[in-house]
Amino acid sequence: MIHFSFEGVQLEAEAGQSLAAALIANQQRITRLTRINSTPRGIFCGIGQCFDCLLSVDGKLNQRSCITEVHEGMVVQIQNGN
Amino acid sequence: MEIKHQVIVVGAGPAGLNAAKYAANAGCDVALIDSGKRLGGQYWRNTGNEVLDQSTHHDFDKGSLLMDAVKANPRITIYLDTPIWSASIIDQRVVLRTKDSSFITQRLILATGAYDRAIPFPGWDIPGVMTAGAAQSLLKGSGVAAGKRIIVGGTGPFLLPVASALAEHGVEHVEICEATGRLAWLPQLHVLLNNPNKILEAFTYFLTLRRNRVRMHYKEAIVEAHANESGVLRAVTVARINSNFQVLSKREVECDVAAISWGFTVDTALALSLGLSASVASDGSVCIETDEDQLASAHNGEYKIFAAGELTGIGGSDLALIEGAIAGLAAANARETKRNLFKMRRKARRFAGALQRVYPIPLGWKDWLTPQTIICRCEEVDYGTLREAERELSATDSRSLKLMTRCGMGMCQGRMCARNISDLLGSNDEDRINGTKRPIITPITLGELAQEGLL
Repeated sequence: MIHFSFEGVQLEAEAGQSLAAALIANQQRITRLTRINSTPRGIFCGIGQCFDCLLSVDGKLNQRSCITEVHEGMVVQIQNGN
Repeated sequence: MEIKHQVIVVGAGPAGLNAAKYAANAGCDVALIDSGKRLGGQYWRNTGNEVLDQSTHHDFDKGSLLMDAVKANPRITIYLDTPIWSASIIDQRVVLRTKDSSFITQRLILATGAYDRAIPFPGWDIPGVMTAGAAQSLLKGSGVAAGKRIIVGGTGPFLLPVASALAEHGVEHVEICEATGRLAWLPQLHVLLNNPNKILEAFTYFLTLRRNRVRMHYKEAIVEAHANESGVLRAVTVARINSNFQVLSKREVECDVAAISWGFTVDTALALSLGLSASVASDGSVCIETDEDQLASAHNGEYKIFAAGELTGIGGSDLALIEGAIAGLAAANARETKRNLFKMRRKARRFAGALQRVYPIPLGWKDWLTPQTIICRCEEVDYGTLREAERELSATDSRSLKLMTRCGMGMCQGRMCARNISDLLGSNDEDRINGTKRPIITPITLGELAQEGLL
């Protein structure tokens, strides 16, 4: 088991999982709010093609959660509009 | 850094793996490049945990053997986690750029595969609605079931392994909505009977579905999704549809995931930036043209570019393996006869052709849309805006429509919406092909470009 934070809350994941999978396993479906309508989005294509599951990882924006592996101590936040 | 190899294969799915194997066995020094962290591509996506991988694939043994053979081959250098962001021809050599290197070769084999096609419907942007491939990748790649109540909807044989794997993994409720009728295979029965292994595969899925009490509805489609107060999926509207996809009646089903799959779209980004010639298949997908050796482009024999697998038209993993083998042998200029492989390819292509005829996607889905339905997910362009631009601004080709409305100009560069917009516009082949060009293949930061000395 490894630990990461999402929106300030500590969550657990299994090593090797994608961030998208780790979030879904923790009942978290929303990765970002859109720029124009501010509507929630989550994982959609699951393989790095659609850029819908973008979020902020360790302060870096626009990370695709479906192709980013979760790591111990990762600080993950919803990407809000940008 | 410049990295040179005799043969470079891009894509480590079935076609790319086999291409690398055959080229290396014929004596070539081969590089196998993939953007993913493991070999296998989308089809043999895996966790590295053998028990889990066996449980989520029906033919993981085949893939596992091939991947082991590729890893053990001293003539093959594997570059994983290596996305290519641009490709060009410089001084009669193919140059592929990654974040920190330039890969250079005169024999390139492209096996970049395909991704799920999703057609839009009201609410398809709600978190919880995802492609069937996404549900599959969560399970195959991370061992995570996408939800507790999952409706798998769309058309085609891919719905079966996705629903089977989810049910086997213990998902409480799985239901399939197949848009095509139960007897759709009848006119193609002769092709099916010629492929007993496919019948067996389908039969295995049906047994699994039955054992897990998964209901399969025919002539039904997910036509609307509904969010709860937190903005995530709570239910979908499933419609009974006619053969033109027009809605006959509706019911609402509670679920936390809707996994949709309307066939596949070929990933032509790399191929088109190298100027390979493309055509439009009968299902509307853009694919790369090749000769019988899978050769797509050559210049006086100085460089040769081959294409194999889904890139040349959607046909599944068996066809991809055969095309990969042919491309590998041809790139290595092997003297070995390919006659038997050609024969196998003909048979596999006949099957792929039958599949396309059995699972057509008529344009009736446009009646599912409302003016507020998002069509371009990235730029949040809705159907009403597109129609208005078409009507008021005479934006009747995809480029004009893009310039007027920004559809297709977001982060995915039209990967999700281009094909749907072409369908809505009734685009000709040239417009469809232009709509799939993506000059930057994978995102790169300006800082990374600057480091390379390109700014």
